[in-house]
Amino acid sequence: MDIRVLRPEDIPHVQLANITNLPENYFCKYYLYHAMSWPQLSYVAVDVSRPPKTPYDPPKIVGYVLAKMEEEPTDGVAHGHITSLSVMRTHRRLGLAEKLMRQSQRAMLQTFSAHYVSLHVRVSNTAALHLYRDTLGFTVDKIEASYYADNEDAYSMRMELSNLKDELRELENAAEDGVWGAAGGGVVGSEGKDEGDAVGSEGQKAADEGGAGADLRKVKVGRGLGVGELVERSEVAGAA
Amino acid sequence: MPQPLPSKESSLFRQVVKFYESKQYKKGLKSADQILKKHPNHGDTQAMKALILNSQGHGEEAFALGKLALKNDMKSHVCWHVYGLLWRSVKNYEEAVKAYKFALRIEPESQNILRDLALLQCQIRDFEGYIESRQKILNARPQLRQNWTGLAIAYHLAGNYKQAEHILVTYEETLKQAPSKTDLEHSEAVLYKNTIIAESGDTERALNHLQEIMKANLDKTAVLELKAKYLLQLDRKEEAAKTYRALLARNSEYRVYYNGLEKALDLDRSNDESIPKLQALYEEFASKNERNDAARRIPLDFLKGDAFKTAADQYLRRKLNKGVPSTFPNIKALYADAEKKAIIEDLVLGYASEKSLNGSAEGKAHEETSSQFEDSVLYFLAQHYTYVRSRNLEKAMEYIERLIEKNPKSVDYNQIKARIWKHYGDTQKAADTINHARELDLKDRYINTKCAKYQLRNNENEKALDTMSKFTRNETVGGPLGDLHDMQCMWYLLEDGEAYMRQNNIGLALKRFTAVADIFEVWQEDQFDFHSFSLRKGQIRAYIDMIRWQDHLRDHPFFTRAALSAIKLYMRLYDNPDLAKGSSVDLANLEPAERKKALKKIQKEQEKVKKAEADRKAAAAAKATAKGDDGEVKKEDTDPKGEKLLETKEPLEVAMRFLTPLLELSPRHIEGQDLGFQVHLRRGKPLLALKCLQAAKQLDPTHPSVHENAILLRHHLNNLKEPLPTPVAESLKESFTEPPSSASSTSALQTLNDDFIKTHASSGSVAHLQTAYDTRYRLDAATKSQNEDDLLKTLDLDAISLKEAADGLELLKGWKSDAKVLDKYREKAAAKWEVATVFAKE
Repeated sequence: MDIRVLRPEDIPHVQLANITNLPENYFCKYYLYHAMSWPQLSYVAVDVSRPPKTPYDPPKIVGYVLAKMEEEPTDGVAHGHITSLSVMRTHRRLGLAEKLMRQSQRAMLQTFSAHYVSLHVRVSNTAALHLYRDTLGFTVDKIEASYYADNEDAYSMRMELSNLKDELRELENAAEDGVWGAAGGGVVGSEGKDEGDAVGSEGQKAADEGGAGADLRKVKVGRGLGVGELVERSEVAGAA
Repeated sequence: MPQPLPSKESSLFRQVVKFYESKQYKKGLKSADQILKKHPNHGDTQAMKALILNSQGHGEEAFALGKLALKNDMKSHVCWHVYGLLWRSVKNYEEAVKAYKFALRIEPESQNILRDLALLQCQIRDFEGYIESRQKILNARPQLRQNWTGLAIAYHLAGNYKQAEHILVTYEETLKQAPSKTDLEHSEAVLYKNTIIAESGDTERALNHLQEIMKANLDKTAVLELKAKYLLQLDRKEEAAKTYRALLARNSEYRVYYNGLEKALDLDRSNDESIPKLQALYEEFASKNERNDAARRIPLDFLKGDAFKTAADQYLRRKLNKGVPSTFPNIKALYADAEKKAIIEDLVLGYASEKSLNGSAEGKAHEETSSQFEDSVLYFLAQHYTYVRSRNLEKAMEYIERLIEKNPKSVDYNQIKARIWKHYGDTQKAADTINHARELDLKDRYINTKCAKYQLRNNENEKALDTMSKFTRNETVGGPLGDLHDMQCMWYLLEDGEAYMRQNNIGLALKRFTAVADIFEVWQEDQFDFHSFSLRKGQIRAYIDMIRWQDHLRDHPFFTRAALSAIKLYMRLYDNPDLAKGSSVDLANLEPAERKKALKKIQKEQEKVKKAEADRKAAAAAKATAKGDDGEVKKEDTDPKGEKLLETKEPLEVAMRFLTPLLELSPRHIEGQDLGFQVHLRRGKPLLALKCLQAAKQLDPTHPSVHENAILLRHHLNNLKEPLPTPVAESLKESFTEPPSSASSTSALQTLNDDFIKTHASSGSVAHLQTAYDTRYRLDAATKSQNEDDLLKTLDLDAISLKEAADGLELLKGWKSDAKVLDKYREKAAAKWEVATVFAKE
C-alpha cells in the first residue's frame, strides 16, 4: 500500500471509497475544492499490488484523508481540519489511517503553519475515537450536542501541532542532512522515531482504525454550497 | 450604444442588476417589468430580464427574450454579453464565445466581459484565444500578480514554456523586496516556474533553480521529490540516492521513492547480481521501522526460489500473527508467477497443519495469538481458494465454514462466504449470505454497500435500493435514488443499469448509463470555477494537474463500462426497433401473427401506464418544481423510466456520445475498438470501421474480434448496394487487405472461417470458437442450427469457464434461437455449473 499525496485524478476513487464506507458524502467539486485549495494536505493509500485489468486502470484507493485549513478560524488561530478519513474494511489493521494522518499533519504544519488540527467524530464511533485519542494524541475539546443530522452528538477533538514541530526540529535527522543544499537542513526531520514508539498499541488495535468519521455539517457545505459560493459571482456586463 | 433611459428608470435598471447579482430574482423581475412598462423595447432591460428568467429555470423564455433584446439593440454590449451568458448556461461554449466577442468589440475595455471570455476559452482549451485575453487582462491591471500568473498559465498550457517562464520572471523582477517567508502564493509561484523549466526539458537549469529556492519553499515534500527526480535524470546518482533516502525517512510507504533509490544505486531487479544488494537494502529499511510494510513486501516481487520462500514465510507469518485481514489481497498479485503461487500455497497449508506451533517463527507465543494465527490462516486459505488464479471453491467453502462455525457473527467471514457463492454463479445464495453479513453489523456502510451490489448482481434492483436507503439522505428530491445521483454514486448507477440490462429493461438500463455520462459532464463543468479560483488561491501546480486530468477525464473505467453497455444497447435498438416498444420479449422471435398480437397487448398496457403517469405528473406539475423534504428545489425528472431514451430515432447517433470519447481517450481498450467497428459498419462508414479493426489488430492480432470483424468488413464490401465514393473505395483497397479483395464471395469467406474453426478446435479456445460460429451465422443465417449444435459442444471443452458459457448463452439469444435450444444449452451448462443462477430454468 503506497501512501502519497492526493492527486486530482484520484478523486473518482476517493469519492468511491468515501461513499462505500461512510454516510457523509460529497460531490466531486467539493473534493476538487480541497485539492485546489490545500493540495499538500490530502493523502491517499493506494493498493499498488493489484494486477491491472485494463490499460486504463485508475489507482485503487483503499484509504484517504481529506483535509483542509480552516478558512476563517473563529479563534483567529491558523489550524487544520480533517474533513473526512476512511479506510476500506478490507484494509484495516495495516495502520493506514495513522500513516495518512501523520503525513497530512506534517504538511499542515510545514506548509500552512497550522497550530493545531481539529476534527469531529461520532460519540458512538469507538474505533475512530481510539485512533484519534490513543494512537494519534488528539484530545476531546468538547462535546457538540446533536451535531449530526441523525441527532448524534459529536466529540470535537483537537491536537496541538507544537509537539510535532519540536519533534521535527529536534529529530533533525541525518537522513536529510545536506539535501537542502546548504549544510544543516531545514525545519524538517524524520518521524522515524515517533513511528517507532507511538504505535505499540498494535496488539490492541483489533478495533481497527477504519471508518473513522467525518463531520456531517460539512456535508451541507459540500452539497449546498460547494465551491460556487467561493468564486466570484458571474456578474453581468459592466451594465451598472 | 445602449438605449438611454431617463434617470428614474436608469436607477431602476441598476437595481435590476443588483438584484440579479444577489439572486433576488423576484425583485429583479419586478423592477425590470416596471422599466419595460414605460420602455417596452429597452434592450438592456430585456436582456437582464432574460438572464433572471434563465436563472429561474425558464430557459426557453429567456432565450426568446434575449434574442428580442438583441434585435432591439444590436449595438449594446449588455445584450451581447447576456446572449453569451445564455449560451454558456446551456454549455454551448462556441456560441457563447462568439457573443462575448461581439460584446467586446462594442466595449473593448470591459473587464467583466473579457474575464468571462477568457475563462470560457480556457474551458474549451482555445489557448491561442486565452493568451490574447489574458494579455489584455494583464495590460489593464499589471499590478496584480495573478494576472501575470494567468498569462503564464495560458502560455504554459499552449506549450510555450519559454514565454511562460519569461512572464513569471518579468513579474519577479518587479518585486522591490523579497516576499515574506510565509507568502504561500510566492512559494507556489516559484515552484510553478521550476516545473515549467523542467517541462521545457532543461533539467540542469531546473535543478539549479530548485537549489536556490528549496530552502525557503513551503512545500517540503514537493521540492525534495523534484530534487531527487532531477538528480536522477542528470545521472548524479550519489546525490539522488541521498535525497531518496531523505524522502523515505519522511514517508517509507511510497514505492516511487524506493524505485528511485534502486536506480540511483544502480540496482536492477532483473539482474541476478543486484538481488543480494537489493535484499540487503530492503532489510535495512525494514529493520529501521517495525511498522513498515513496503520494505517487507517489495522483496517478494523480485526474490525467487528459496530466497523467496524464506521471505514469504517471514512476511506471511508476521501478517497472519497480527491478524491483518488484507494479507491475501496484499500478496495475490504474486500469483501471476506460478512458482510463487505454489510456494505460498505450500507455506500456508503448512501453517494450517502446524497450528500447535502457533505461528511464531520461533515457535513461542501464548494461546491467544495462537488462536488468532489459526483463524488468520484459515481466512487466508478461504480467500486463496476463491481467487481466480488458485480457485477451488469446494475447499474455499470448507475453510470458511470452519471459521463461521467458530465465529458465526463475523461479518468478514460471511462476506467471503457470499463471495464464494458468487463465484459458484449462485447469485441468489450470494445475495442472501451477504445480507446476513450486513445484518450482523447494521452500522457499517461498507458491508451495506457490498450487500446492495450483490443484490444488483442478482437482478434485485428494488431490494438493492432499499438496502442503499439505509445510508442515503432520503429526504432528497427523488428519494434514495435521487441522493445517489446527487452524490455521484457511479458504482451503483453502473450496477443498477447492468442489472436492468440483464433483465432486458433497456429503457432503465440506458437511463442509468446516461446518468453516468451526465455525471462526467458535470465533472468536466466542475473545473470551470477553478480557472479563476486557483489564480486567487495561488496553488498553480495543483491546478495544472487538474487541467491535465480533465483532458482525459473519460478514460476512467466508470465511463468505459457505461459506454460499452450503452453502445451495445443502442445497437440492439438499431437492429431491432421493436425493442423500443418496451417489450421484454424478443418480438422478432415470434411468428408475424403472434408478433402483432403481442405488440397490441404491449401498446394497451403502455397506454394504461402512460395515463397513470400523466395523472401523476399533472399532480406534480401543480407544484411546478420538485421540492424535497430538505427544502432543496430541483427540476423534476420527466423521463424516470428512460422511455424517451428508447424512442430515439437515431440510436447509433446517440451512441456516439459514448463511442467518441471511448475511441479517443481509451484507444487501447480492445472491446471499445470492437464496438466501434460494429457501430461504424452499421452507420455505413467502412473507413472508420476499418480504423477500429486495425487498431484492434495492433493491440492483439489474435483477439477473436479481429477475425470476425475482418471477415464481416469484407462481406460488407462484397455486398454493397451502392458503390462507395471513389476516394473511399480507393482508400479501402489500399489499406484493407486481409482477407484479400479476391475473397469476393461468401463461400470464400466461409472457407476462411472454416479454417479458423479448425485451428481453434484443436487449440480449444472457447472465445475463438464462439466468435467463429457467430461469424458463420452472420455470413449465412441458414447455418443457425449447425452453429447451435457446435456451440453446445463447446460446453464439453475442459477450458470453458462459467463466464464463457454464459457468453455462449447470450450468443444464442443474439441468434434468436428457439426456447428449446436455449433450454437445452442451459440444461447442459447446469450439469457442469450446478448452482449457477444464469443457467437455471426460466
